[in-house]
Order: sequence, then structure tokens, then C-alpha cells
Amino acid sequence: MEFETGRSPAIQITPRQRWSIAFSYALIVIGLTLGVNQRDSFLHQTSQYNNFEAGISASYPARWLLDESDANIFRVRDMSHAGYNTEIEVSSIPVGADAAERNLLDRISMQRAQFLVDYTVLGYDAYSLPDESQAIAMSYSFVWRDASPFLNSVSSIVNGLDILTVRRGQALVISFRADAAVYDRELQTLSAFLDNLQF
Amino acid sequence: MQNTQQIQNQAETYAFRPVWLRLTVQMAALSLIAGVAVLLAEVLPFQLEPVIGRPLSILLVVVPVLFWLTLSVLPEYRFARPRRRLIGVAVVSCLTASAIGLPLVESFYVVDRWLPLQSVFARVIGYTFTAGIVDVGLKFVVLRYVIYPQGLRVRSDAVAYAFAAAVGYSFYLNLAQIWRMDPTWDVAALTVLATTTIQLASSLFIALGLVESYFGDAFPLVLPTNLFVAAIAAGIISALYPGFISGVLTPAGSAARPLFGLAMLVAAWCLSMGLTYFLYATSERREREAFGGRGDFDGV
Repeated sequence: MEFETGRSPAIQITPRQRWSIAFSYALIVIGLTLGVNQRDSFLHQTSQYNNFEAGISASYPARWLLDESDANIFRVRDMSHAGYNTEIEVSSIPVGADAAERNLLDRISMQRAQFLVDYTVLGYDAYSLPDESQAIAMSYSFVWRDASPFLNSVSSIVNGLDILTVRRGQALVISFRADAAVYDRELQTLSAFLDNLQF
Repeated sequence: MQNTQQIQNQAETYAFRPVWLRLTVQMAALSLIAGVAVLLAEVLPFQLEPVIGRPLSILLVVVPVLFWLTLSVLPEYRFARPRRRLIGVAVVSCLTASAIGLPLVESFYVVDRWLPLQSVFARVIGYTFTAGIVDVGLKFVVLRYVIYPQGLRVRSDAVAYAFAAAVGYSFYLNLAQIWRMDPTWDVAALTVLATTTIQLASSLFIALGLVESYFGDAFPLVLPTNLFVAAIAAGIISALYPGFISGVLTPAGSAARPLFGLAMLVAAWCLSMGLTYFLYATSERREREAFGGRGDFDGV
């Protein structure tokens, strides 16, 4: 058995101790606020994309992978997690003066139905772009499975949204696709992307 | 000065349970279990069936609590004046981690979405101001309202209660992590050791702050400074541990390095305990010298 000299538990805390507790609470609040600030600065950090040939400039999440190799103008994907990578794809289609937006979306749907599993169009809606111009939106879903046979992953449902607008004889299609589980959350990224998209 | 005299007048001598040595024994035993698990996983030519592996992993979550109950809590009741609030502090800390700590870090700060991809320095800063400050803040609030100041009779009380908070808080974090990830039992053992080490390191600095503030009546910025250092300690270990346990990425892939992770964790808890004990003992010696040698023991 050992002994140590202690003080009576009835002692009141001193003004110094009271201040130190108050400063501690202040430190915790400041620390939590700095954490929020740090989170926002990392999550909302963007990179700039410019394509002078197509007349498009956009800001996309800095963590996402930019891909210009396909037929579309460009595509950005979130490669930071397993499963379906959330992506935004921007493509343009030359159109005639009397082209109907709905027909263009139907054509895209028919092409997609050939290679996407269980591709289903969920509906069409009018969509207001940030510059207040009108576009048409088509929402859809399909089943996605990882291409690697070694991963043995379970299939997942992917939700998509195509926003189509016709300007200067060109239809611009902004396609957004994300796993159904994170789709609603990731819509914020699309919204931020559209806010900074210029074409 | 008047307060100090008041303290001196009301001082009395208690029989107390030594803290630091038992704390070291518990962490050493936990490290030993993790080491054995890692070595067995390396040596054994087969993997355990999930029907055995999962219960074993869950059982590992309970090990630190069992050690703590056996080596720290139950022996208290052999003394006339035990630290009665140890279990209360652990339970409230565990509930706080469940209700506020983990949801705040995972759903509000969403650290998994942005922190693991940053550089080491950014990860240290990131974990300090998210998971670190949340854990430290919550444990401090628990200690403040459960034991401060009524539960503090001797300096070692602060260390004992802070460790109780670490055990309770890390129990829920371990349980949630292992239940969700369903790792192999050697990874589970390392995860338990990692979480306990992070919480222990931060708790010891909180205890140091409480000791300085209450027993030393220190300058008002000493306690918040200690809380900040506690958050940094948690941030450093959280940021460095994944780097140690994961191998270097090569074209052939990346292999886990559990022994590196284990060595890093042992070094982390030894360093944090050594540093806090040095500061604790120095402060106690200073006070003993100042008050003419009253209180002959340092609480080891």
C-alpha cells in the first residue's frame, strides 16, 4: 500500500481554474470550427478545365480524374473509393435547326440500352440552368458490375441524370452518374459543377 | 496565495492505488496480444474460418476493458477510499463516443472522403482538428462534469480517470470499426491496439492539464494548451499509423506490413507515456519542493 497527500474534495475551484476551463471550451470550439473550414476547403477544392476548341470552361473537384480520351469532350471521375465511380461527362452533338431535344435524348437512350444492363429511363423534366436558360433533363438507372472478374463484387444500381441544352447548332449533354446509395449527396457536386460551367 | 494556503490546510494523506505502473502493464499486455496475433497470422499456413474469426475479433475488443477492470478497477475496492467513479467515467465516455464522437467524425467531418488522400502533414493537421479535437473535447467534458474537482484528491486520480475515459471511448470506436469492417483477427488486434493507443496518448495529456490546473493552480492557458497537445498527439498517431501498416505501392501491388504498424504503436504509447510521466513527475517534484516536502510519493 502506498500513500499520497491529497486535498479535500470539498475545495472550490479557484478563479484561475475557472478561467482555464473557459479557455479550454473556447479552444475546443475554435478547433472544431477549424476542422469544418479544413473539410470544406479540401472537399470543395476545384481544378479548372478549359477547352477553347469547344468553347467550354468548367471547374471540377480537384480530387477527380480528368479524362479527355473518349469521344465526349471531357469526363471527370471520382476514383477515391471502391464501387462505381461518380462521374460527370460533357459531350456535344451537332444538331439541325429543327432538332427536338427529346429526340436527341431518345437517341442517347437507345444507344445506351445496347451496352448498359437493365437500362431504364425514369422520366423527363424541364431543368433551369444557373444562367436561367432552359434545358431538358432525363433521369435513368442501370445495373453496374465491376469489370474485373477477380473482385467478385456485388452489382450495384447506378442513377444517372442527363441535362441537354441546344445552343449555336450544338446540343450539349451533361451526364451525371453515381451509385444510387450516394446519388443524392453527390448531386451537390453536380450543382457546383453547373454553377461554374461556361459554354 | 490564500487558495494555496487553504489547500495546504485541508491536505490529508490517503492510501492510493498506484496508476502509472499498472497502466504500463495493461498497454504492454495489449501490445503482446497484438504481437502474438500478428506473428501467428504470419506463421500459420491457413486462415481462420469466419465462424471462428469474427467472434475472436469481437472478443479482442473486450480485452482492453477486461485488463482495465482486472488491473485497475477491482483492486481499487481493496482500499478504504477507492476511486469510485472509474466505471462511471468509462461508461459515459463510451456513450459519448457512440452518440456524438463517431457520428461527428464520420458523418459531419466525413474524414474518409478527403483526409486519407492528403500528404502526411495535411493528414496530421486534418486529424488534429477533426477526430483529435472531437475526441479530446468530449473526454474533457466528461471528466470536467464527472470528476472535476470532486473526484480529484491526489494527482494520480486524474491519470486514473483519464485512462478510464480512454478505455470507455476506445471500446465503442473499436466495436464499431471491427463490427463494420469484419477484419481478420490479427488486423482486429492491431486495430484495437491502435485505437487504444490514440485514446491513451490524448487522455494522458488531458490528465496532465487537469493535474497542472487543479493541483498546481497553473496559469489559465496551461489546461487548453495541454488539450491542444492531446489533439495533436491523436492527430499524429492517426495520420502516421496507416502509412506504417501499408506497404509501398509498387507495380506488383502493395503488401501489408503489420509488424511495422505494431512497432510504431508500441513506440507511440511508450513515447507518450514517457513524456507525460516525465512532466507529471517534474510538476509533482516542483510542488513538493515548494511546500516543504509534504507528500512523499510520486504516484508510480
